[in-house]
Amino acid sequence: MTKIHVQLDINGDHHELQLEPRVTLLDALRDRLGLTGTKKGCDHGQCGACTVHVDGERVLACLTLAAQVEGRTVTTIEGLAREGEMHPVQAAFLEQDAFQCGYCTPGQIMSAVACIREGHAGSDEEIREYMAGNLCRCGAYPHIVAAVRQAALEVQS
Amino acid sequence: MTVHNIRHGDASDGALSEAVGGRLSRVDGPAKITGAAKYAVEQRLEGLAYAVLVESTIASGKVRAIDTTAAEAAPGVLQVLTPDTIISLRTASDWFGTPPPDKPYCPLARDITFSGQHVAAVVAETFEQAVAAAALVKVSYDETPSIVDLSDAKAGDGIPIDAMTKEWGDAQAAFASAPVRICAAYNTPREYQAPMEPHGLIARWEDDQLTVWEPSQWLDGMARTYAEWFGVPFENVRLVSPYIGGGFGSKALALSHGAVAACAARMLGRPVRLVMTRPQTFTGYGGRAATRQTVAIGADANGKIQSIVHRGVNETSIDGMWVEPLGSVTSIMYATPTFSSKQNVVRVNSVVPGAMRAPGENPSAFGIESAIDELAYEVGIDPLEIRLRNYAEQDPHAKKAWSTRQLREAFATGAERFGWFRRTPEPRSMRDGNQLIGWGVAAGTYPVRRAYGEAIVRILADGSVEVESSSIDMGQGTYTILAQTAAETVGVRADDVVVKLGDSRFPRAGVTGGSRLAGVMTGAVYKAATSALDQLVGLAISDPRSPFHALQANTLVVANGRIGSPRGDGPDVSIAELLKSVGRDHIEATGDTMPANSTSDDRYKNYTTIAMALPHTEGDYSRHSWCAHFIEVRVDEDFGTVRVSRVVSALDSGRLYNPKLAESQWKGGIIMGIGQALLEEGIMDRRHGRIVNNNLADYLVPTNADIPDIEVISVGIPDLHSSVLGGKGVGELAIVGVAPAIANAVFHATGKRIRDLPITLEKLI
Repeated sequence: MTKIHVQLDINGDHHELQLEPRVTLLDALRDRLGLTGTKKGCDHGQCGACTVHVDGERVLACLTLAAQVEGRTVTTIEGLAREGEMHPVQAAFLEQDAFQCGYCTPGQIMSAVACIREGHAGSDEEIREYMAGNLCRCGAYPHIVAAVRQAALEVQS
Repeated sequence: MTVHNIRHGDASDGALSEAVGGRLSRVDGPAKITGAAKYAVEQRLEGLAYAVLVESTIASGKVRAIDTTAAEAAPGVLQVLTPDTIISLRTASDWFGTPPPDKPYCPLARDITFSGQHVAAVVAETFEQAVAAAALVKVSYDETPSIVDLSDAKAGDGIPIDAMTKEWGDAQAAFASAPVRICAAYNTPREYQAPMEPHGLIARWEDDQLTVWEPSQWLDGMARTYAEWFGVPFENVRLVSPYIGGGFGSKALALSHGAVAACAARMLGRPVRLVMTRPQTFTGYGGRAATRQTVAIGADANGKIQSIVHRGVNETSIDGMWVEPLGSVTSIMYATPTFSSKQNVVRVNSVVPGAMRAPGENPSAFGIESAIDELAYEVGIDPLEIRLRNYAEQDPHAKKAWSTRQLREAFATGAERFGWFRRTPEPRSMRDGNQLIGWGVAAGTYPVRRAYGEAIVRILADGSVEVESSSIDMGQGTYTILAQTAAETVGVRADDVVVKLGDSRFPRAGVTGGSRLAGVMTGAVYKAATSALDQLVGLAISDPRSPFHALQANTLVVANGRIGSPRGDGPDVSIAELLKSVGRDHIEATGDTMPANSTSDDRYKNYTTIAMALPHTEGDYSRHSWCAHFIEVRVDEDFGTVRVSRVVSALDSGRLYNPKLAESQWKGGIIMGIGQALLEEGIMDRRHGRIVNNNLADYLVPTNADIPDIEVISVGIPDLHSSVLGGKGVGELAIVGVAPAIANAVFHATGKRIRDLPITLEKLI
């Protein structure tokens, strides 16, 4: 398959890649760019582990071709902290123990940041609903809700 | 020389978050929340090639031919492996260490015994090329009829497993003559661990040295299997597994996909990565076996049990053996003068089932904890009261005292917090609009599995402490509790401890399963750290260059990384300063909890098999964790949908090494139990003997929106018969009893007794 030239803007860094057009954003991040913080749980858009932000909105990297995000701004878990300072959602996840194995966690955090930004963190019920696309088999859900609630208050204040 | 005391107080004795018992946040947390934590298959290696598996599409028969022409011609393909082209391996011993038959092992199958069996693999330069080429492999079969599952007419009654038989008194006669009798059948379906990280590995050979980066609940056991497969010395195999994205029992053994990847790497002379697709994870290894039980209870009119007769069946594969011990909770939860439990195993065309969170105890509790609820209604007694009326004051089967059993306290505390005494007993008597409300209770238990462990503790020149062990952290908190143990024992801050796990080059560890690791490893680290501290204080007292030499002290105190005399007089120096003064760049101590006269063979056996695990009834005591779940459900009267709206669980895991992390594990177990009760079921295509819902959209696991607030309460006390520092098991306990508590609550809400999991709406309307 002929490769195409793809320019990607990831976490403020510019990358140029020669890729087959069938390469997903997820595999480009993990296998080509070494950005393995974005996880592959199902490769079919069912689990949410690969959630990243494209132009600030949450997107499943396994259902997105790398070529589709050319010219758009991609943020992954590695790009969330600013100047070494953890994002309030990251800090809240640590404080509330909102993870165990940690594999779904980057996707949960990226979803949580977007969930708050979308204005969907107004109540525990709303958080549960708008975080329902990110599966956690360790069962950290009650602590994820607590972390999102805590971070939402910090972000909004 | 003992120079300090560790506290063995109550479960909450960690006043400092950094000490054992304190609520220290996960020390591996920052790496996990920033994406910096590199899981096994995320290593970047020069020359990495990518393998993709091809699986059987029939459940029974033979591979007639495999046409690889198109796949081999596809772009980027390096190799197509089939049973004819893959290198031959030797059969490895099982996890008991039973010597294997002297015959070759081929991880790609010619004889098909289940749908989804690996028959070929394609290796290519990129993942995309391997996926595309794997679709071009054409396999033809000679198909034979398959046994789909336990309900298949061809399945039969199966094989009696005599080792599962437990009997005392004449239970049949006592049942026949009992004034009150209940008897019912309880079924659980195939369930799947579904860890978020799929199984996979990178294998790399350098001459006869094999390195495997693979998520693993047992590095040394898996290293043994790889070594035996390839006929290389055990020391030549290195397993690396720094983080594990969930296991729940499924990542303890080296499996055939690992053999395929290691063969490919050897044949190709390049490192090879192979990761199962999510659908492949449903057949690449076994989930929880489907089970069938009948529970018959005979009692007097007051609900006092006179007899329990229990019969169980679980499925296994055509050529493998898995026994899910279904009488494990049945035989110990309640006092009964007579008892009989027997179990058969039935062969079906499935991958061999495996361990999934509390294998045995989990389905066992669904039977007995549903049945006792039925008995309560039969005799008109509160479901909590009937449990207290039949409380087992000692282990009814082993006839030994409990080491500790805070189950009465769990019932009392949980009932109080839940408000159980406001419950009206009649089914359908509590409602909120069109929602029927039901309150259910059930108990759970899990044995304390014990084994031996070892660790290295080093005190480094800068005063920091390093701990090494080949044990692992898949989210239970091993990194954190071992840092707390070393910090408290040596006398430094937890921040100054670095724990290194997940590399088989480190001191060895047995399996992380059966909720044993925390007890085993805190004991080993405590011992190694005590020994390192003894050396440190010994140097400080006896070395002529030490500032303490002139003090003539017989002991010193180490706290917060500083050394001083117990009375506070004399010098006060940092560990770093002391080491510098005596000219040492580090102190190192290996600690293990093995019996003193252990040979190197004993050690090998201990760390690479489960043959040396200590029975939970060894000696004078029977050791178990205990819990009581109180659960509220809301059932839509028109649609039959069930929502869990409230959970209060009181749990006895002995002393908690870190309550913050233990509570997370408990809640996780409860949530998996909610999934088991309401959602999870492998559904078979009866024509093809194939699981149809082999993905995370169709095999439903709980989502955030399915889970209410959950309150967990620790009622444990330190149990020094169970572990060095007083803890019992945490990880598996909390799932046990959740499904029956929900089924009992559903009965209370609706008047319908559901004895087949999961409790889906069509069973209620």
